[in-house]
Amino acid sequence: MSEMWVNMGPQHPMTHGLWNLRVKIDGELIVDVDPEIGYLHRGIEKICEYRRYNEVVTLMDRSCYVAGLAWEQLYFIAAEQALGVEVPERAEYVRTMAQELQRLASHIMWYAAYVEDLGLMSPMLYGMRDRDLVLDLFQSFTGARMTYEYMRVGGVRNDLPVGFSDRARKVMDWIEKKLVEYENLCERSDIFRKRTVGVGILKAKDCLNTGVTGPMLRAAGVARDLRRDRPYSVYSEMDFVIPTHDGADAYGRYRVRMEEMRQSIRIVRQSLDWLDRHPGRVMAEKVPRFVGTPSPPPGREEYVLARDFPKGRGLAAMEEPHGEAVAYIVNEGNEHPYRAKLRSPVFVNISAAKHYMIGYRVSDIPVIMGSVDVCLGEADR
Amino acid sequence: MTDTTASTHSAGTTVVTHLHKGDSPAPEVPTEQILAVSAKEFIPLWKENLQGLVNKGMDTLTQPLFNWAGRNSLFPLHLGLACCAIEFAAGFGARWDAERFGVVPRSSPRQCDLLIINGTVTWKFSHKLITLWEQMPEPKWAIAMGNCATGGGPFRTAYSVVPGVDKLFPIDVYIAGCPPRPEAMLDGILRLERLIRERHG
Amino acid sequence: MTAVSSWPEALARLKAEVPDAITGESARPGVLAVLAVPAPSIRRLATWLRDEGTFSHCSLVLGIDWIDHMEVVYHLWSDALKGYLELSVTLPAEDPHVDSLGGVWGGAIWHERETWDLLGIRFDGHPDPRRLLMPEGYKFHPLRKSFELREPEELEVKSRHV
Repeated sequence: MSEMWVNMGPQHPMTHGLWNLRVKIDGELIVDVDPEIGYLHRGIEKICEYRRYNEVVTLMDRSCYVAGLAWEQLYFIAAEQALGVEVPERAEYVRTMAQELQRLASHIMWYAAYVEDLGLMSPMLYGMRDRDLVLDLFQSFTGARMTYEYMRVGGVRNDLPVGFSDRARKVMDWIEKKLVEYENLCERSDIFRKRTVGVGILKAKDCLNTGVTGPMLRAAGVARDLRRDRPYSVYSEMDFVIPTHDGADAYGRYRVRMEEMRQSIRIVRQSLDWLDRHPGRVMAEKVPRFVGTPSPPPGREEYVLARDFPKGRGLAAMEEPHGEAVAYIVNEGNEHPYRAKLRSPVFVNISAAKHYMIGYRVSDIPVIMGSVDVCLGEADR
Repeated sequence: MTDTTASTHSAGTTVVTHLHKGDSPAPEVPTEQILAVSAKEFIPLWKENLQGLVNKGMDTLTQPLFNWAGRNSLFPLHLGLACCAIEFAAGFGARWDAERFGVVPRSSPRQCDLLIINGTVTWKFSHKLITLWEQMPEPKWAIAMGNCATGGGPFRTAYSVVPGVDKLFPIDVYIAGCPPRPEAMLDGILRLERLIRERHG
Repeated sequence: MTAVSSWPEALARLKAEVPDAITGESARPGVLAVLAVPAPSIRRLATWLRDEGTFSHCSLVLGIDWIDHMEVVYHLWSDALKGYLELSVTLPAEDPHVDSLGGVWGGAIWHERETWDLLGIRFDGHPDPRRLLMPEGYKFHPLRKSFELREPEELEVKSRHV
């Protein structure tokens, strides 16, 4: 048989973003793949070097547009480490709750898009409907649906509004109920099971070698989750389990994400309980001068610290909805970072495409790539 | 009562013009034109002239119909670039349901008449975007959704970003916002419908 | 050989089994340690860390342009030690190059491609030394400090096409 290269992308319904999967096919069989990214490379790391620490937040939101708050917090953990700023406990709880709401929104978005790829239209509409409920919660305390600009060096911009926790609890109850419906729609569908079980297998050994993280790694049976292994924020106070699956296939990744949504709901409820009982400030008392406003408004002088702060480097790692995200910031005592580097889980998960795609059929490509959950904004940065 | 003058066209066709006869001087513009041809000339003439006239007449008759149908069923290309693509998708979800305006995303540029550029366009992608635009059949329209497509947005100064997609091809409607809400996207599409009506009838 | 169970133990064994592989060790909050590694011994050290030191996951490879020299930083994660180890390699500003770790961790391949693309640091023995994010034929390495961002009005559109 003759082999040929086929471009799937940059404009292709399978891609869920802007990238090109070059596939070498022999008939219907995938012989080789060569993912090509960079179509959404927006130079975020370079622009960071030209902006003040707080001004970078707009770029972080847009670097991963389905999990903006995760990247905001990632960047600010690194920046706070590099600048030596302490964050109040209430702000940490607000951040943790926001993280888990974000994970919920991101996974529901993934579910909606993925199941639509498999030919089931109504779960997509249900998913988008329930995701909008979570986005309404975001809108009530950040003011935006997707690009929030909510966190700051030393805390968060504003406290939660009155009545937030009741609304959030109602939404959590609703989504918890609907998750059962989602699962029934998929797992009782023969089409869904036949297309996902045993497809796109990436064993734990290959995951470790290729650096694949997140739900893909946990679906291979490795219970690595930075929320538990290297706790940041207040995750060490939270009670949750790390779901794993031993299938290492597309179905396993689906199962892991569904369970993660349940765990997210648990964490959101725990944070809301704590937040109800502990009012307080959500912004650090002292923030370096160049990080806060250049000239503080009257009565807000406490936000200003001495002009100079120690040179340093900060490394933040967190479990983003897609996997392990790392931010590394080199601070040279200026008002802007000297070098900011972001490690995107999607970037690495795509790079391993050779290991989980060769040997399957062309019709399996949307199933496999959908189960990876790509977001090209963070992969290309 | 009419007076008849005959004149000869360069193509050899005889055009008979009827002019009013009255108190006032005869109007400059002929009020009515009759194409008179003999039977044996009919076939070559039909090929040369009548076809053009018929086509033009058909166009005048059918163009409003096509415009009406086209503007009420704009098919955008299923192309997700960046953040705005998520709001684009939300616009087709349960809450906003853009399909009630006849807007159905299609995956092939050959089936589309609307290109919604929903995100940042990089120089690396610009060639492919122009190809997509050229693959779409006429008549076609383009909407720049969000600040990145309009003018580069927050990535304006980046080395890899096209500062405004109108550097590549003409844009009909710009939607502000970073990203615009789905309502804003729907408003942009409805404005495009109005624009097509105003421009083409 | 049993696997290491703590970082001091790993460091002691590292010094005994891979002599002269590190030139300095320092501490910083957030990571287990920062090791300064001379460029020629990076592959030897990385192989030991993967096989004996339980650092099974290469999380991040990045480059920093210090104008007078270049620096490549590796972050490795160990599931046993639950922490990141930072390796730092200093390279000259002129023609910086270092051994590729793509053969040790497959996850390093794309990070190294990106570092070559954006900073112009060559990785010897790299399995796939192409540009990654910028298109082939692009002449610059944009994350170098000598490459400055400008307002788009100052740039000729033609020169940005490749």
